Amino acid sequence: MSVRHAILGLLAHEPRHGYDLHGAFEALVGGRGVWPVNPAQIYTTLSRLEEAGLVVKSMTRRVGGPDQNVFELTEAGREELDRWYESGAPSMHQRDEVFLKITLAVADDRARPERVISRQRATLYRDLHELTTRRSQLDTEAPLAHKLLLDKAIMHIEADLRWLEMTEARLHEMSRQPVPEREKPRRGRPRVTSIDKRPGEEGGDDT
Amino acid sequence: MTIAETRGLTKIYGAGETRVVALDHVDLAIEPGEFVAVMGPSGCGKSTLLNLMGGLDTPTEGSVVLDGRDIAAMSDDELTSVRRKRIGFVFQFFNLIPVLTAAENASLPLVLDGVPPKEALGRAEEMLAKVGLTHRSGSRPDQLSGGQQQRVAVARALITDPALVLADEPTGNLDSRSSEEIAGLLRQVSGEWGRAILMVTHDPRIAAHADRIVFMRDGRIVDDTRIANSDSARDAMERAGLL
Repeated sequence: MSVRHAILGLLAHEPRHGYDLHGAFEALVGGRGVWPVNPAQIYTTLSRLEEAGLVVKSMTRRVGGPDQNVFELTEAGREELDRWYESGAPSMHQRDEVFLKITLAVADDRARPERVISRQRATLYRDLHELTTRRSQLDTEAPLAHKLLLDKAIMHIEADLRWLEMTEARLHEMSRQPVPEREKPRRGRPRVTSIDKRPGEEGGDDT
Repeated sequence: MTIAETRGLTKIYGAGETRVVALDHVDLAIEPGEFVAVMGPSGCGKSTLLNLMGGLDTPTEGSVVLDGRDIAAMSDDELTSVRRKRIGFVFQFFNLIPVLTAAENASLPLVLDGVPPKEALGRAEEMLAKVGLTHRSGSRPDQLSGGQQQRVAVARALITDPALVLADEPTGNLDSRSSEEIAGLLRQVSGEWGRAILMVTHDPRIAAHADRIVFMRDGRIVDDTRIANSDSARDAMERAGLL
């Protein structure tokens, strides 16, 4: 998750010190309850950004307080931030734990895929309850950005629930198919043709 | 403590080859102030359950116990009275009377129960204010938006101070914004005003406002899940893939 780029984006608005950045990030997403980032993570990221020459540190003297490191975006940092705006963010939805649980449970005699689905549905509805509660607590004065972030989370859960429902309806069908396995490497010299019989399909002529 | 309960509730329609088991030995207990959503594919028996619990239909077998009394064992007069006083109904198409004002519609259960119209109207005004319709009490249904009409229907359902509110797809005829508002209002009705609610819905986002979801299939309860008071929103966001 790109806390790194969020820091660059926040520094593009104005130079800030580490503690200030942490608060600015929390304010951006709507509080630590929504998206917690630990201050140490901010400082670690800042020193990596500094090593990479994307931010630069300068000391400021404060009257009546300790001196502080203030970070500022460099030219290279600005370019990196622009590259980030220009590029698409990958969707990670195909790396899915629930998919793994269900597919493996279907092929496991001692597992109960229906139960996996039912537990997952309960989890999703609990999350949805929590998010809709939070969403309805945001009044008309609340920043639109915070509403949109919660809406996004809610929409993802709605999609997950739909997928779960579809998968549940096809569970029986799924259980009649073997778990996808990679094709076994053949012995001997590889054949040149791309269409060939799979092992165990002797006599089968369905092409 | 339960306010409403079904025991082995069964409903069979038809006989012989056309015999359909709409509800198959359903046991469900609802506590005061609990907001329960019922979900499931069409034909799973959720509307039948609601109708039986509301005394709008009679069970083939089993019982519905409301305030500790089996409603199937009641006389017609008794049942009518219980239906009017102890159960509030909210429907998909509001079911308001077009020629009556919001206040008159909301006061109707009291008037039917013999409360003097003036007193009934006064209480209806109060109830309309509670559901957020202070300034529209004199409007007729066709002068109100869908969301406002449903608020009137909620006020009407609550005016007799019922033990149980039954809501059948209460947001099925509303846009998403009004749906959220009505769901939020029902949440308030249960959480702050302590009424038990049984709501049938097919919309996950509306069901998510409830404290508990009962999933039905083929006339049976296949899952019964408490969804309120769980992890923080942060965990929810994390699982939604946003962290």
